[in-house]
Amino acid sequence: MEIKSRRKVEDASAAPAGAASGNANATLPASSGRHEVPLARRILAGLGPRRISAVYLFILFVVVFSLINPNTFLTSATFRLVFSEGVVTCLLALAFLIPLAANAYDLSIGNLMALSLGLCVWLNLHTGLPASVAAILAILACTATGAFSGFVIVKLRVNSFIATLGTSQILLALVLLLSGNSQLIAEFPDSYKKLGIDQVAGIPIVVFYLLGVSILLWFVLEHTPIGRYLFATGGNEQAARLTGVRTDRVVWGSLIASGAICGLAGVVYSMRTGIFSATTGPGYLFPAVAAVFLGASQFQQRPNVWGTLIAYFALAFGIQGLALSSTSGAVWSQPLFEGVALIVAVSLASRPIVARLREARADKDLDAIEADPGPAKAPAGSG
Amino acid sequence: MPLLEIREMSKTFPGTRALDHVDLDIAAGEVHALVGQNGSGKSTLIKVLAGFHEPDPGTLVRVDGEEVELADPAASRAAGFRFVHQDLALVDDLSVVENLALGRGFQTGAMGRIRWRDERRAAQEMLDSLGFDFDVRKPLGTLAAAERTGVAIARAMWNWEDGARILVLDEPTATLPMAEVETLFRTVRRVRERGLGVIYVSHRLDEVFSIGDRISILRDGRKVGTYKTADLDEDKLIALMVGEAVTRVAGAKAAPGGATVLAVEGLCGTVLCDLSFEAKAGQVLGFAGLTGSGREELLPLIFGAGERLGTVAVDGRKVKAARPESAIAAGIALIPSDRLHQGGVFDMSVTQNLTLTDPGRLTGPAKEIRRGRERSEVRDWIGRLDVRPSNPDLPLAALSGGNQQKIVIAKWLRMSPRVLLLDEPTQGVDVGAKAMIHALVREAAAAGAAVVVASGDDEEICDICDQVYVLRDGAIVGELTQEQMSIDEVGRMQLVGRGNGHAPVA
Repeated sequence: MEIKSRRKVEDASAAPAGAASGNANATLPASSGRHEVPLARRILAGLGPRRISAVYLFILFVVVFSLINPNTFLTSATFRLVFSEGVVTCLLALAFLIPLAANAYDLSIGNLMALSLGLCVWLNLHTGLPASVAAILAILACTATGAFSGFVIVKLRVNSFIATLGTSQILLALVLLLSGNSQLIAEFPDSYKKLGIDQVAGIPIVVFYLLGVSILLWFVLEHTPIGRYLFATGGNEQAARLTGVRTDRVVWGSLIASGAICGLAGVVYSMRTGIFSATTGPGYLFPAVAAVFLGASQFQQRPNVWGTLIAYFALAFGIQGLALSSTSGAVWSQPLFEGVALIVAVSLASRPIVARLREARADKDLDAIEADPGPAKAPAGSG
Repeated sequence: MPLLEIREMSKTFPGTRALDHVDLDIAAGEVHALVGQNGSGKSTLIKVLAGFHEPDPGTLVRVDGEEVELADPAASRAAGFRFVHQDLALVDDLSVVENLALGRGFQTGAMGRIRWRDERRAAQEMLDSLGFDFDVRKPLGTLAAAERTGVAIARAMWNWEDGARILVLDEPTATLPMAEVETLFRTVRRVRERGLGVIYVSHRLDEVFSIGDRISILRDGRKVGTYKTADLDEDKLIALMVGEAVTRVAGAKAAPGGATVLAVEGLCGTVLCDLSFEAKAGQVLGFAGLTGSGREELLPLIFGAGERLGTVAVDGRKVKAARPESAIAAGIALIPSDRLHQGGVFDMSVTQNLTLTDPGRLTGPAKEIRRGRERSEVRDWIGRLDVRPSNPDLPLAALSGGNQQKIVIAKWLRMSPRVLLLDEPTQGVDVGAKAMIHALVREAAAAGAAVVVASGDDEEICDICDQVYVLRDGAIVGELTQEQMSIDEVGRMQLVGRGNGHAPVA
């Protein structure tokens, strides 16, 4: 549950490791002036498998499966399918990413999406509301739910993992109520459905929705003070608070934003199929979470938008390739891929943490010897 | 023959000799108090005994007349040393029985099942023998402070027939309410009755006199002497600890005395009680005090890191408690003592840490942070404070303690604070960074800020402050102007027993 375990200190090549003690000056003659790493080395470091392993994975899958299935894999139909299918999951992954940046977990994303979808379909079947109004109501409902989760976490001081697990079950109840435990099929107008299945310049229109949300989120996270506040809260909440960051608001806000994006994901889902059943939601949680964690091991070593998308699509193409290569459709390949990828990604990202701890220990001040868990402990400074 | 003989113990760190040929004898069945000011070498001596520091060659340690090699904590334990530290290293959520088993392991029966009944009985017997009668099934967190210390002692002494010879208690009462000190003393006497040697380290002289059989005084790494408690009184002891009254001549410092910027009235915390003072523009005000005097909680309380009683006003306007952002808006800045947990976000870059105080001032029309402006501001600070390595993209964690502290200070200096609060500003930083930080503090005052420094380092207090308040037991017990200020005087005022009147609130 520790977000920090996925974060990583810059490669040793970029960070003169010996710099951490009192005699740093002596060991660092080279960097006494401005610190500039040669461009070529920076590019090389940037292309290292540790930073963009998912991109290599992506390329590997495309090459391997193109060779295995020369006629079916490398076609625009396959690409269109994978991309349009992936939009909902990717939106949910982005929704998960926002609170995660602030070290809060939103496990209700799957059922939030289901609530949104359910409301769209139910309002279509049981009221005369236009589909667009229903969609807006659905997004508002999800936003409100996010606000509720935020309230439980920030005001009632419940751990986010537990709070959103609870919210998620409550949502499931709502979803079951809406569905009446059967599959509902909406009768949306064509104009609404077109928003889900049209193509623009040969690219599924829904991909643009994802792109829009991604760019907005990337901008906010990486280029505005709000993004700084989110990552500072996630990195060290106490220090952030004492620096003036209103960490409670940050966490709360992150869950509200997460809810809104989940609502949008449900609306997009409804545009694409118009079919709703209570079992829709939970299956989306894991792929989204896996994409975020795998993505967090990419580029910056912290949760980030493009890493998440690349991670998702690398996995998705792998799954698609396996499905095409096997006569039975290989339904088992998806969870297998996701499970393996998640473990590999997180273990890759946490190895540098071990290295950092070792380094920190070596640099510890004489007085800062850690207490031994055993009976003979280090004396706390007194003299 | 003494139980423990230390001969010619020296310990040299680069640049300093922390222990200088110290001889010490501890008898069986004796409580031997070890006293000395901050930096006198007590900590080092204990760390050597615990096997955390290797002593210099020529050091001799004998237990029961047999020479022992204190290469590591395990060797120290095998030699019969047991330690209870100020931080008791207990787990509040676990029961007393479970806490006792930490580090020792449980007695298990068939299939690895813990023999709870045996464990409980043994734990109860152990604590009974130390003079406690609480239920060992209770979670540790529900016990009184002295009882928790008792559990820590019980754990250190577990199976005392099994080789425990010397119990070292390091500041055991620093976090203990006064009413519970006697409970602890009772326990210590029981340990003594068992024939163990007890080394009792404390800053509190009244305690030393009530529990100690003999007292050894360390000063500047040397032993000043060992005395029977009956042969000393408080004045004599203080004179021995402080040494010759060498009055420091204060350096050329700016004369204090602008308008009052910070006004604190009736401030109360856990230990602090009804504290009032003012800080003026251009002044560096110091707070000295021992650990437990309330010094540690003063600045966070003023900043409003948590709830507080009393009022804090900047330029006449009151500042809300428990709202760091409103303190910051009022112009207060806090450099916290706990850098690791409160000072910075260590996974974030130097740049992002530095501008976190107010990234909004760097934004353009779309609320985006303008990287060029940010970069040039950060480069300016890095150059000004000589931060090394100078790469602003490194994570804060990659810097040394001193350079991290420079960044933490810089992030507040960029706010041009009206009130700059520095808590242990040079703890764990190297000498060069220390000088730099002291210069920055003077500079901030010269620029018109009211600066308040709380520090356990008396030398630091004397070096940079225009005026010093000395804290003891939660109250100001003395005030020294620049002319009266000396390390010895500051040290002496912190020591004299427990203050009168202001008993700490449990």
